[in-house]
Amino acid sequence: MYNEKDINEQIAWAKINEDVLRSMENPRKAYWLAVLICILMLACAAFAEYIQYTTGMGPANLNNPHMWDMYIATFVFWIGMSHSGTLLSAILHIIHADWRKPIYRFAEAMTTFSLMTAGLFPIIHLGRVWNMYWVLPYVSDRGHWPNFRSPLVWDAFAISTYLSASMLFLFIGMIPDLAICRDNARGWRKKLYTVLSLGWTGHDKQWRNFRKVYLLMACFLIPLAVSVHSIVSADFAMSIMPGWHVTTFPPYFVAGALYSGCAAIITLFVLLRYFFRFEEYMTTPIMEKTCKLTFAIAMVWTYLNLVEFSSVWYGHDIYNKELLIAKATGPYAWVFWTMIFCGSVAPFALAVQKLRRHMPTMFVVSLLLNLGMFFERWMIVAPTLSMSHSPHQWDIMWGSIVEWAIVFGSFGWFGLLFLVFVKIFPSVSMYEVKEMVFHRRRHLVNEDAAAKFHRRKDDAKSASGEPGLEGA
Amino acid sequence: MSLENLLGNWSQYRKGHEEGGFHDYEHQWGMAIDLDICIGCNACSTACYAENNLAVVGKERFEKGQAMHWLRLERYWDQNELDHPEQGASFLPMMCQQCDAATCEPVCPVAATYHTPDGLNAQVYNRCIGSRYCSNNCPYRNRYFNFYSYYEDSWPEPLNMQLNPDLTVRDKGVMEKCTFCVQRIRVAKDKARMENRPVADGEAMTACAQACPTNAIVFGDYKDENSQVAKLWKKYQVKRRLTKQKKDNPELRGYRIFEELNVDPSVMYLERVREDV
Amino acid sequence: MSKHCVMGLFSDFDEAFAAISDIRKTKVPGVSVDDVTLKSPIEHPEIEEILGERPVHVQKFTLLGAIFGVTFGFFFLSGAQATFLVQPQGGKPVVPLPSNFVLMYEMLIFFGVWCTFFAFLFLSGLLKKRHTLYSEKVSLDQVGILIDVDEDCLEPVKNLFKQHKAVEIREEVIK
Repeated sequence: MYNEKDINEQIAWAKINEDVLRSMENPRKAYWLAVLICILMLACAAFAEYIQYTTGMGPANLNNPHMWDMYIATFVFWIGMSHSGTLLSAILHIIHADWRKPIYRFAEAMTTFSLMTAGLFPIIHLGRVWNMYWVLPYVSDRGHWPNFRSPLVWDAFAISTYLSASMLFLFIGMIPDLAICRDNARGWRKKLYTVLSLGWTGHDKQWRNFRKVYLLMACFLIPLAVSVHSIVSADFAMSIMPGWHVTTFPPYFVAGALYSGCAAIITLFVLLRYFFRFEEYMTTPIMEKTCKLTFAIAMVWTYLNLVEFSSVWYGHDIYNKELLIAKATGPYAWVFWTMIFCGSVAPFALAVQKLRRHMPTMFVVSLLLNLGMFFERWMIVAPTLSMSHSPHQWDIMWGSIVEWAIVFGSFGWFGLLFLVFVKIFPSVSMYEVKEMVFHRRRHLVNEDAAAKFHRRKDDAKSASGEPGLEGA
Repeated sequence: MSLENLLGNWSQYRKGHEEGGFHDYEHQWGMAIDLDICIGCNACSTACYAENNLAVVGKERFEKGQAMHWLRLERYWDQNELDHPEQGASFLPMMCQQCDAATCEPVCPVAATYHTPDGLNAQVYNRCIGSRYCSNNCPYRNRYFNFYSYYEDSWPEPLNMQLNPDLTVRDKGVMEKCTFCVQRIRVAKDKARMENRPVADGEAMTACAQACPTNAIVFGDYKDENSQVAKLWKKYQVKRRLTKQKKDNPELRGYRIFEELNVDPSVMYLERVREDV
Repeated sequence: MSKHCVMGLFSDFDEAFAAISDIRKTKVPGVSVDDVTLKSPIEHPEIEEILGERPVHVQKFTLLGAIFGVTFGFFFLSGAQATFLVQPQGGKPVVPLPSNFVLMYEMLIFFGVWCTFFAFLFLSGLLKKRHTLYSEKVSLDQVGILIDVDEDCLEPVKNLFKQHKAVEIREEVIK
């Protein structure tokens, strides 16, 4: 119906540079307001953490069966969101889906910043935060090591690997763009970009190595992302608790992560497109493709949910079965059904083309999807703890204001990091958009030439009296 | 050097619970609790509070579930049709079961909980960073976390004089649980070692076993065949390392809670005899 | 005989590639295609054939890094576990292979990624001082062909560039 292209091939390369560099200019008032809001949110979290640090974990309303609550749920949520960049940068790169080129930069940035946010939570949720470095394997004169059997130590390894690999991937991918910024900047920015672009000159040797390195890093990042979220799911799957001791948790979590990440991409897509006037690059057809991808992942997530529910329903494990029934009908039922609605029903808006093309609708839908995913994380953590093996310790528990403040503040922290990023680094990859335009133009030219050739052949055939192609 | 260790002892280091484990146990402390004799008086729980410097947290925090009772009396009411409703009451003293294949041990990120050569599940307060995974993984939910610095207001002067000097008072952020009064076990073992003799049955006595008015709690060394505990386990045909006990006589009352989860607990309960009035 | 370095900037990519093809076909005697370097704002895999055999060595370092990560991971972890025998058993062996596999996998990726990054830095000639013949236009939308020539080959090369519609020609003397 809509015959639009992903990007206008005739766009001048100079315009690409100009548009993206303009986004990094001195910010308007709305930007500073956003920064202020993020700082205030972060201040809430800092104050709440101060209370927790000095008083103990008690103000978080944790008690004997509920030893984990919002912090772990939010931790899993942020790690999940980080899979967006990997999906877009790495997976779509390997399958040569070039529509990712205008949008993968901010997605990759989102990955790095969600990981930096997520990494705070295993530290915040500890009872003795000041000793958190004990989970790292360092040589100590007392000869003690962390317990490598524990999924929390696997978390420490996996998240640090993923964070460093993601940062490296983001940085390496940005080097040619930083060279462009360096060539067009003055003052402190010029110094910064000069250092960061590492002397990039567009030399063919540099490009050759660059292309190899980018591919290698993408190939590493994909299994890394899968393994990181599988390890995070192992925090639950390696325990014996009903509702946690589920073998489908690794793929379930990874699917949920891709889902949550894609929804966040849609949110940021709409925001960046509006605020930086990137309509030429973050076009509607690209939004449509992202929405279709999200929809597919939403259906995968729904399927895995159904698998989990039905395997519990048909099994003979009383603990698990009663827990599932309690999730759907007990005091947490409203969270459960909101999760089901936001996660499995709301994505159908992504399947309707008219809605897909309407940016404000997609913004709202993507926020709903992420709300569903947040609730899903919490539904994994809390109900199991409320209703585990020992009936004497069954309990209902809701988070306290301290927990909510810290969770709320984490969004401020993420927002602050992202806001700083978009003003210092190009949020659209200039060289990749140029490549996209170059290859599409070339493809058009080739198509044109091929069409001309076929027409000439037909003309020649008809001139010589042979039957030509009909309706060619 | 650790690599030498590794290469020299590879086969031993690869042994898990099913193959007998890495340790050769010199003692294996166990308990037998007769629920028929238990009257639910809570003397055991109170003795545990006194012996182990447990903080009394107050009504508000107890209701929130932040209590520190290492040994708790679980009360259950049988709701079925009974001639006399009081018959429905039952009590279960529940403390750390010191599982041989404890689920809490492998999940601690800093190795703050481990299995001693005594067969006890030890908690190292100094090492605990408070990640609370161990408590989440305990099927009995027997691990208690110091949500506050209870010592600040639980023992105002002169109550602080009642604290047991044989063990610490824990600060906030640290996990704790029943240790089978390991301080008493250590004293008994030290004494026996100094006098060059094995530990006699009854010499190491937990506070709860000592305080129980009806002697419902029996504590001792399972490895010592002549101890009361070992004899009780044998009498009621409950064996370790099984997830389902095979008994000659189904009337034998011995059972272990949640043993089907393959945790191998060290506490045997004797089922309450239900009267038909 | 002093060495010169000449750079021609082209806004038409096809003309620039045609110029390199000409050099390859040795239309200018004394200048071989190995002296040519191409500077461009995007990568050009299509030019690889014309530019000749220029291998990339980064992947060897990646492999080395990954293998190192796995073996170091195994011996480090098992060694730590073998030393720290107080480590909780929980029914698990002292050196649990499933846990170690997970951590070895992470270390494989960690070392693989960092080795790749350092190999990239050193092998691609990134951290060297920039040639003075750098033009900002290369980062914008033009392609630069840089050739090291002897003095007497200078004019033919410049003529070749002008033949292929070079927008700008710059030169520099290097001793």
